[in-house]
Amino acid sequence: MTELLSTKGISRRFGGIQAVQDCNISVQAGSITGLIGPNGSGKTTLFNLITGVYNPDNGQATFQGKQITGLSPSQICHEGLSRTFQITRLFWEMTVLENMIVPIRQVGLRSLLGPNMFKEEIDRAMVLLERVGLTHLKDELAGKLSFGQQKLLEFAAILMAKPTMVMLDEPAGGVNPTMIRFIMQLILELNQDNVTFLVVEHNMGVVMELCTHVIVMDQGTKLAEGAPEEIQANPAVLEAYLGN
Amino acid sequence: MDNLRRWWKPTALLILLAYPWIFRAPYYHVLGFNVMLFATMATSWNIMGGYTGYKSLGHSAFYGLGAYFVAIAANQLGWNPLVSAPFLALIVALVAVILGWIMLRTSGSAFVISTIAMLLIFRLTALNLREITKGAPGLSQPLPPWTPEFSRMPFYYYMVVWLIIALFVSWYIRRSRFGLGLVAIRDDEGKAEMVGVNTTLYKILAFGVSAYFVALCGGVWSYFTSHISPVFAFDIIVGVDMILMTMLGGLGTLWGPVLGAFILIPTSDLILFTFGSSTIYLAIIGVLMMVVIIFLPKGILPTIQQWIQDRRAPRAAHQGALSMAEMHGLTDDSPSVEEEIRHD
Amino acid sequence: MHLPSWNVLIQVAVIGILTGGVYALMATGLTLIFGVMRVINIAHGAFLILSAYISYWMFTAYGLDPFLSVIVSVPLLFVIGLIFQRYVLSRVQGDPGLGVLLTFAMALTLEGLMGSLWESTGRSVRTAYTSNVFVIELSDITLRLPWVRVGGLVAAVIALLSIFLILSRTNLGRAIRATIQNRSAAQLMGVNVERVQAMTFGISLGTVAAGGAMFSLIWTFNSGSHEEWISKMLSIIVLGGMGSLPGAFLAAIIMGLAESVAAVVMSSYLSPIVFYLILFITLIFRPQGLLGVKVREE
Repeated sequence: MTELLSTKGISRRFGGIQAVQDCNISVQAGSITGLIGPNGSGKTTLFNLITGVYNPDNGQATFQGKQITGLSPSQICHEGLSRTFQITRLFWEMTVLENMIVPIRQVGLRSLLGPNMFKEEIDRAMVLLERVGLTHLKDELAGKLSFGQQKLLEFAAILMAKPTMVMLDEPAGGVNPTMIRFIMQLILELNQDNVTFLVVEHNMGVVMELCTHVIVMDQGTKLAEGAPEEIQANPAVLEAYLGN
Repeated sequence: MDNLRRWWKPTALLILLAYPWIFRAPYYHVLGFNVMLFATMATSWNIMGGYTGYKSLGHSAFYGLGAYFVAIAANQLGWNPLVSAPFLALIVALVAVILGWIMLRTSGSAFVISTIAMLLIFRLTALNLREITKGAPGLSQPLPPWTPEFSRMPFYYYMVVWLIIALFVSWYIRRSRFGLGLVAIRDDEGKAEMVGVNTTLYKILAFGVSAYFVALCGGVWSYFTSHISPVFAFDIIVGVDMILMTMLGGLGTLWGPVLGAFILIPTSDLILFTFGSSTIYLAIIGVLMMVVIIFLPKGILPTIQQWIQDRRAPRAAHQGALSMAEMHGLTDDSPSVEEEIRHD
Repeated sequence: MHLPSWNVLIQVAVIGILTGGVYALMATGLTLIFGVMRVINIAHGAFLILSAYISYWMFTAYGLDPFLSVIVSVPLLFVIGLIFQRYVLSRVQGDPGLGVLLTFAMALTLEGLMGSLWESTGRSVRTAYTSNVFVIELSDITLRLPWVRVGGLVAAVIALLSIFLILSRTNLGRAIRATIQNRSAAQLMGVNVERVQAMTFGISLGTVAAGGAMFSLIWTFNSGSHEEWISKMLSIIVLGGMGSLPGAFLAAIIMGLAESVAAVVMSSYLSPIVFYLILFITLIFRPQGLLGVKVREE
């Protein structure tokens, strides 16, 4: 198993708060790795540091052997790393189809000046929309979708960039059990097509069932890691959750 | 309705072409020229301010640069402004790209402020670089070669052509992938970056294009008035007018800026005639702008469009805004996935 | 460009710092509004000129010295600020882009109104002590410090201290600071954000009133002057870090100094350009400003 993503000694402070502190994690290619931890342990900040939203004060992140620290978010996306947000972010004033088209990688000036949607791109988008059951809403404004539909759209849209690895921030947050099942199924299918996942989740049932490997964060750094059953049995992990 | 859609553009073009022959008095030619001039500039500004959402308050900096480049070229090199303006405007666009690279590094707020600073830097430079610009008293250039009765018509037709070109470019951008990226930036710049849009490049390009036509207009204007000075060439009101027209007609639409120009230019002439004083004019423009911003923030065209849409189909109950309860899944009882997905 | 003597340089530097103090007073309100409401108040300059006109009017009509007439103008501007925010600016809540345009429109309106009332003649308040200077002799350097500039600095310091006290000691101040740091969190903790915004705008215009009084003593102005001054103030807050009050203070002193020195090194007509050049340099090398926080997304 090769290491796809890793961070070494990554730290970031905001004013008086050390949000992430000397964090070293590693995600293996082809895995579905869970990232759990009590609130405030720095999971989303770590996501933001890896994807270039913030620059770390110290340390670095490596993806596919290449240093990605300091790159802009769009450059990191082009490397093959995509992510979703804890609070769903879409282009609210664009249609569902347009939301699917924007993430497609643009190369060169000619593609820039071309029409905004090529037939092959629309076809590919429709296939993905079919998979998440949103084809009938393709011309609807993203802002008019229901909460669950928006989550699915956000997930489907980032897949248009054909990422090697997807980072999901609470994909099961705020949706009902049937939808959770659906999303989990989708993740498993994509994983079989060789997409690696790093998933922040609070829903332990999802983590246990979905993840092949789990990393636990507490107070900005890695507390423990291992197979889901090991983590479940780890007393330090329990204390981190209860102690807060 | 369909006939209207098919025939309004050729008809409008015909009217525009015939206009100076129907309305013969020089005043109408000047009015027509100004409307075409500002419609072009507003259309240009809209590319940055409307499509991309970065509202440059100092855009008249490019107007002034175009004016001075053309005037100086006419005096020193004997270049005919109507020929040189399109080329010199390219140089100004390049300046815009370079400045844009600096100004578009931070937040939208800092950008707005830096456009004002940019305008002032150019104005102060023009005032002080007396050997080149002749300073505060201003710069004259040779008059056009045609006769006085005829004198405004060529300017008018020249601008009709450039308005059409500007509209074409604006339309083209809108339906291109570039335009899609710009709108994504306007909607959520952080998200756009996250999905791989090279936001810095897009913004800088949009800024350069939006500067081009404004600079060209500045060049034409300098020939039209024959005498320019720093205070008028780098006047902030020109930029304000571009913004007000665009907002009035519809920010981010194709025709909004043009509609805004057609409404605002004659109206402001009327106000100037009625009240005579330029200070009252300023106060009225200010109040007008506030009224548009507060009561008609989307502008005329989108408001009409929304009104038509509302009459056809009532708006959906929710607009995608999430309540706290929805976000925490507290409102859901568990429908099947298909039900969940097909729910509207 | 020519290099002046030491005496002139030091004289000019001291004047620059004094001026910077008054700039600080004028810029503080601007950065405060940005911090709380994320709106760039373009009308700030116009309100400054309005205050200057009020001081001028009270001086010429009633003989009231500007240092005294602040007692009237500060509460007056405070109330105007409250009303403007509560009934006009709040209408475009949540859209800073529209907010900027709205304040811009307000500035134009004010310019038009002031121009109609007071015409385009340059005005200034000339008191008995306008041309008086403190003369300070240190070794072989003579400093001539105009009373009005020193008075301006003293007034600025008093006003800024008052702001500091309000922000650090009162409940309102605490609410304001909370809103600056995290608006939604403040709301969730019971802060009445609408009220905080209105009060902030009021306080901001209150400082402008004080600034305007000093301004009327030091500079000549007419209704069109606001454009130049708002541009300077904006450059100051960008240098200092938008939303940072200590940043605005520091930046104001630096800018005052730079402008003053530039006026003798290059022409005094060109010297305002240092504001805008420093602004651009800031954007190139440290876009968040001296004391601002760099965040990729706002």
